[in-house]
Amino acid sequence: MTASQNSTAGPQLSDSVMVEHPRRRSDVNARLVEGEMVVLDRTANLIHQLNQTASFIWHRCDGQYTAREIADQLVDAFEIDLDTAEGSVKAALQQFEQLGLLERAQA
Amino acid sequence: MHTLTLRAVDRGIRVDCEESETRALLTATYGHMRDEAGAADLHYIVGRDSARTTFFIKRQGRELLTAPDDGAFLQLFDEDIVIELQKLRCDLYFVHAAVLTVADTAFMLVARPGGGKSTLCWALSHHGFPFLSDELGPVDLQTLGIHRYPRAVALKTQPPASYPIPPATLQTSRSWHIAAEDLPGGIGTGLTRLTAVFFVQYDAKAREPSVRRLSVAEATGRLYANTLNALAHAGDGLDAAIRITAAITCFELVSADLTATCGLLTATLKGLLLTSSP
Repeated sequence: MTASQNSTAGPQLSDSVMVEHPRRRSDVNARLVEGEMVVLDRTANLIHQLNQTASFIWHRCDGQYTAREIADQLVDAFEIDLDTAEGSVKAALQQFEQLGLLERAQA
Repeated sequence: MHTLTLRAVDRGIRVDCEESETRALLTATYGHMRDEAGAADLHYIVGRDSARTTFFIKRQGRELLTAPDDGAFLQLFDEDIVIELQKLRCDLYFVHAAVLTVADTAFMLVARPGGGKSTLCWALSHHGFPFLSDELGPVDLQTLGIHRYPRAVALKTQPPASYPIPPATLQTSRSWHIAAEDLPGGIGTGLTRLTAVFFVQYDAKAREPSVRRLSVAEATGRLYANTLNALAHAGDGLDAAIRITAAITCFELVSADLTATCGLLTATLKGLLLTSSP
């Protein structure tokens, strides 16, 4: 088992991702502790710690919201501008995707 | 035949040694865990083959284990006993850690293999911290008490000259094994409440050690990654890890010079105990 921390750096997804409905994998085990999510992926033998922003985004990756709607909620919750929020959502989704933590997104 | 009767995590272990060399090896490493009280929950027969070229370990319920030399023999024995104890005490949360005590509380040193955990443990003993364990931190999840497991401290490399290995220390093909009795800080007794965990990383480029307090989430990830029997617990052991990390204080310790690292850890613990005392 390996522990990892998320970051929001790195290349970002294109704008088309903002209309998708990201859905986290249902077979991972996640717990919110003091505003940060711990995500246990037994399939990959990895455990991840998400920062508060990524945790907020992860919590909303339930297939109900588009990435744009998540960004809008991020604006309200963290009092940041929309560009910053969209950038954070794209970066987080990119990382969740790379880590294999998302189900296939539905348009 | 010589019988060695040990006790660990409140379970009895009987080891029948068929010849003197295996007996000497196990007495040097597990001698401080000797205890005649109670029935044996685990029974081993160990020895060497007639040509004295191979060590063997027999235990009911598993195939014969053989080892080409003393270092491999001890490693196999260590691994088997740790796995069997996890089965016998699946209620405990077993962390791969060294454990010492301070002011009647315990703290763990957790590191990747080769990360300097045992060397730091040996050095800290020179600074007056009583020893509980070098390899195994068995945590009682109800009380957060940690059981002692005073097997000898196993060092893969020679420590710095300021922390010399005692002359009579057992040296095998793989490690030095410093008997618990030889630790200058003494040995802790009984179940001791856990108060802190240090996740140790050695950085050869670091000019000085550094310490950083971890969030519960980050500590949980790190603790979980070093847990031996997480899946024996509900929710794949994640809740148990959170139970521990939410109740104690966890740090990342980047180690450098050993004496300076011991100083930083001592100061950190002193500050922690001052802030947590009534």
